[in-house]
Amino acid sequence: MKVVIWDDIVQAVKTALLELNTTVPPELRQHMLRLLTEEENEISKEMVSEILENYEVAQEKKLPLCQDTGMVMAEVRVGDQLLVEGGTIRSGLDEAIRLAYREGYFRKSIVSDPFWGKNTEDNTPGVYFFDLMAGDSLEISLLVKGGGCDNITALGMLNPGDGPEEVEKYVLNELEKKAARACPPLVVGVGIGGNGAYALYLASHALARPLGQVNADRRYRELEEKWKQDINALGIGPQGVGGKNTCLEVRIESYPCHIASLPVGLVSSCHVFRQKTLKW
Amino acid sequence: MKVRTQEWLTIETPLGLDEVKILRAGNLVLLNGEVYLARDATHKRLIADFNSNHALPFNPEGAVIYYAGPSPTPPGEVIGSIGPTTSRRMDRYLEFFLQLGVRATIGKGSRENKVKELLKNYLGIYFIACGGAAAYLTRFVVQKEVLAYPELGAQALVRIWVKDFPLIVAYDAYGGDLFEQDEISNHKVVTG
Repeated sequence: MKVVIWDDIVQAVKTALLELNTTVPPELRQHMLRLLTEEENEISKEMVSEILENYEVAQEKKLPLCQDTGMVMAEVRVGDQLLVEGGTIRSGLDEAIRLAYREGYFRKSIVSDPFWGKNTEDNTPGVYFFDLMAGDSLEISLLVKGGGCDNITALGMLNPGDGPEEVEKYVLNELEKKAARACPPLVVGVGIGGNGAYALYLASHALARPLGQVNADRRYRELEEKWKQDINALGIGPQGVGGKNTCLEVRIESYPCHIASLPVGLVSSCHVFRQKTLKW
Repeated sequence: MKVRTQEWLTIETPLGLDEVKILRAGNLVLLNGEVYLARDATHKRLIADFNSNHALPFNPEGAVIYYAGPSPTPPGEVIGSIGPTTSRRMDRYLEFFLQLGVRATIGKGSRENKVKELLKNYLGIYFIACGGAAAYLTRFVVQKEVLAYPELGAQALVRIWVKDFPLIVAYDAYGGDLFEQDEISNHKVVTG
């Protein structure tokens, strides 16, 4: 049995949240530098250069990259041979959010009830998914994204006879209508299979991959590349002002599904892609 | 600091009709003067209060509303990160403010088609700022003051003073729409 101290989880998650909201990984900066050379019209170039400048100001002043520091999501994979001492993982995540969002002067955007709630004043709770694994490891994948890109989340219940072409058509149709208001260029997650609820989870889980990590399955890898090109061909561009880059990456996650269904979940992140996985 | 290479128009608030008539979708604009921060809950409260016979806490004539809820202001800063929120959610409130004299709104993303009609009818402008460049945009805010509803936190009504705040005209008063222009690389910058 491996023992992990509750407070160590709190401190690690807190540090990660402070970092995620104020600094960008080199891969994201590389993407934006590439866009700066690829984009041709002066307005999309201006958008990309402001995004790059934003990285500098945020890091220098320790200001959040985006004023919307989101509802924190965490996927927790915990081994059955691991014991957390001092509290539950859930309470540790809440505590980490509480500490990070206060210390970082991040916005508190969570209300305690959709209809009758008040602001919880500390950005808790987050949204957590727990998965029990064999072994003694603990993994926490953090995803921070704002309301703007979450609002274009979609679920399509397609027909089981449909192939990759129909699924792509559904994804393109949704993004053509909605991508401009979700702060593109996006990182697009597509979940295919399971049931309706699980397809949305899969789409979100697809965003738990670090930038640049391609699909292990060649067939899906090829689809990811093709869909990325086709989404970019929509011409929506950075911030929707027109241009060659509407998405940075497409990720697909799949799962077995019912013979009567083809659920397709679509979850996107804005260009301020804030993702990190912690391991014990 | 980034060097500006494109041609930018400098305008000041409150906006008059002359300024509105000059602007075309795709123009790059540096905004100066007073701007009011308001988002979902702020709009709701302003309208409810007005309808129960309370005057607006600001003069709407020529005013510019920025759809933004900044992050908290750290010590030593003028304001916290202040990027635009998605404008479409405020479409339902727009006509109320245009009727009272508000001339322009700032946000991000495309809006419902009816917004273009409203801006034609009332001669108004919809600007976009760069979403997710929220720390960068703090550089152009020189002062802030909470005007009303402090209990709404990030959704309080706040007056800010901006200096050369970078914007793009998304919808103009003639039905022009930046998001529907097929080719915007050769758009003309209107001077004057």
